[in-house]
Amino acid sequence: MGAVLLKISNLTARVAGKNILNGVDLEVNAGEIHALMGPNGSGKSTLAQILAGREDYEITGGSVLFEGRDLLALPPEERARAGLFLGFQYPVEIPGVNNVYLLKAALNAKRKAAGEPEVDAYEFLALIKQKMKFMQMSESFLTRGVNEGFSGGEKKRNEVLQMLVLEPKLAILDETDSGLDIDALKVVSNGVNSLRDPHRSVVLVTHYQRLLDYIVPDRVHVFSGGRILKSGDKSLALELEKRGYDWLQESRVA
Amino acid sequence: MSATAHSASPATAAAAGAAPQSAALRSFEAQWHARRAGPLHALRESAMQRFVQLGLPTMRDETWRYTNLRALAAHAYVDAAGDAPAAALQSDSLRSPALRIVNGVPCAADRARLLENGLEIMPLSELLRGDPVLLRGFLEPLSDADQQRWALLNTALFVDGLYIRITARLAAPLRLVHVTAGPGAAHPRVIIEAAPGSAATIVEEHVSHGDADSLCNSVTQIAAGAGAEIEHYRIFRGGPRAAHIDTLDIRQAGGSRCKQFTICLGGALLRTNLEARLEAAGAALDSYALLVGHGSRHADCVNIATHSAPDTRSRQTARIIASGDSRVIFNSKVIVCTGAVRSESMQSCRGLLMSPAAEIDTRPQLEIHTDEVKCAHGATTGRLDPDMLFYMLSRGLDRRTAQSLLVYAFLADVMTDMSPAAGRDSIDSALLAQLPESDLLRGLR
Repeated sequence: MGAVLLKISNLTARVAGKNILNGVDLEVNAGEIHALMGPNGSGKSTLAQILAGREDYEITGGSVLFEGRDLLALPPEERARAGLFLGFQYPVEIPGVNNVYLLKAALNAKRKAAGEPEVDAYEFLALIKQKMKFMQMSESFLTRGVNEGFSGGEKKRNEVLQMLVLEPKLAILDETDSGLDIDALKVVSNGVNSLRDPHRSVVLVTHYQRLLDYIVPDRVHVFSGGRILKSGDKSLALELEKRGYDWLQESRVA
Repeated sequence: MSATAHSASPATAAAAGAAPQSAALRSFEAQWHARRAGPLHALRESAMQRFVQLGLPTMRDETWRYTNLRALAAHAYVDAAGDAPAAALQSDSLRSPALRIVNGVPCAADRARLLENGLEIMPLSELLRGDPVLLRGFLEPLSDADQQRWALLNTALFVDGLYIRITARLAAPLRLVHVTAGPGAAHPRVIIEAAPGSAATIVEEHVSHGDADSLCNSVTQIAAGAGAEIEHYRIFRGGPRAAHIDTLDIRQAGGSRCKQFTICLGGALLRTNLEARLEAAGAALDSYALLVGHGSRHADCVNIATHSAPDTRSRQTARIIASGDSRVIFNSKVIVCTGAVRSESMQSCRGLLMSPAAEIDTRPQLEIHTDEVKCAHGATTGRLDPDMLFYMLSRGLDRRTAQSLLVYAFLADVMTDMSPAAGRDSIDSALLAQLPESDLLRGLR
């Protein structure tokens, strides 16, 4: 496997005086797919938001290195331009801001940061049409506001579409599978799999084993009480499916 | 004649009993007494007396509670009418043919150029001499309610103005540019009568000339006949020392549709009143307010829609942005009269605060005197949505761009309903110039 892309060491964080992360350790190498599973309220989404740069949380300790750089020192937009992507659990609707316009501005911001020329309008339109076709999205999405009036499934497809266009080094997908029917799940999984590459990594935050039938992870972690309780390979996900999370929490107490 | 000599008149004495007269009120009285008696003198005199009796509004008056007129009241205004410097006619805002009205007096040469089939334009001074009975019908009905008080003063003091009659479906928008050239007070009056089945777009733009303190007390009346379709704009772009009080009175007959845009992009003190009456079944009003508080501007907008007939519909949409230490007030009210069953109304007001010192006050109100109506209202004021901002940052957009896009998007609801022919692009450009990061936004269009 490749070099260490993301290294989280003993990360602790809180919000409104309440501890949410209690010492997270996680290493993701280039080319790997990791699944982060765990019960509701265990802190998985908080971790995803903190990695993307959400400022609502107070980091109380630990560190996060992305390609050896101190990720926590960067504002969210610089993290994105450095190649980090968060697929939101609940993508926000932004009426009045065109969906494609946002994506073009995002791609150009990234290219500019990398010292590359901006894409021109025709080039970009061709690119986005091709990716939309792959995601089985109708071209009507070209003219709509960001996520405006999209169904839950359409919003998730739109997140993956953005990821395909931005080609991040590290994609963190926060419950991108939730609320999808089986056909949509396949489309979304194909999207993620199409990005698999020795230099690219994905962290899937999910509740369900189901997604992992389509996107096979290299590592599975069980998240509970704001930290990783147990790590393993794909078989850990199957075991969780059978036995739930309780046995892990009990064994930890014991 | 001095103002003191007239303090003995009954009207003035009543006001003096309530409160000491302000310099502004005395100067308005002096203007009145300097006028020669003409047709409709009695009507205009009673309007003057009523105004003097009521006095200038204070913050104790229901619809004036957010706007302090003390500075305006301390000012003695000279009569600005007919006193138009040639330079005032070189308005930079003229991009397409327009009829200029300088301190209430229409420019005769412009009028000749604009005439077309289905459009009659006559200066009020002519109508006053030629058909005072017709004019009387328009001057009488204005009430003396708080928000109409300044219209009484306009009725007394207007020197000239326009009577516009539309009898067909006009292809091109009619543009009126009001220039207030200070110092002094102007009282322009515009009366628009749309015959049944006619249609027109009318854009009224208010600008000020020179940097002296000026006051414009304008009144526009629109009477839309059965099935008429009117799109009306009033755009305020006064200078940093301009005070403006505008009253718009709309009466709609059965099946008429009116789209009204009130756009505040300038001035130091702006107060706008809209009273729309839906007087017969099928009348529909869509009113939009786009109010930009910039610097230390004070803008106070009062919109009242009265449903006095069954099956009428009104929709009021306001979008407000306040920066600097500006203050913007939006009060909307829907009145559904007895018997106006199946009326539908909607009031939506959203405010966006761009600085800690800026203030936005909104108050949607409903007054319903009948059953079987659908009335909805909502008002929210806040800062840029942090979730939207974070989403855009997380995609790599820099903070300035993301913020600017959100501000611009906030206004989209109002902008998209303007028709391009009415000059949406030029309104858009003027708007952008007052938003943060305007250069950036221009590049994004």
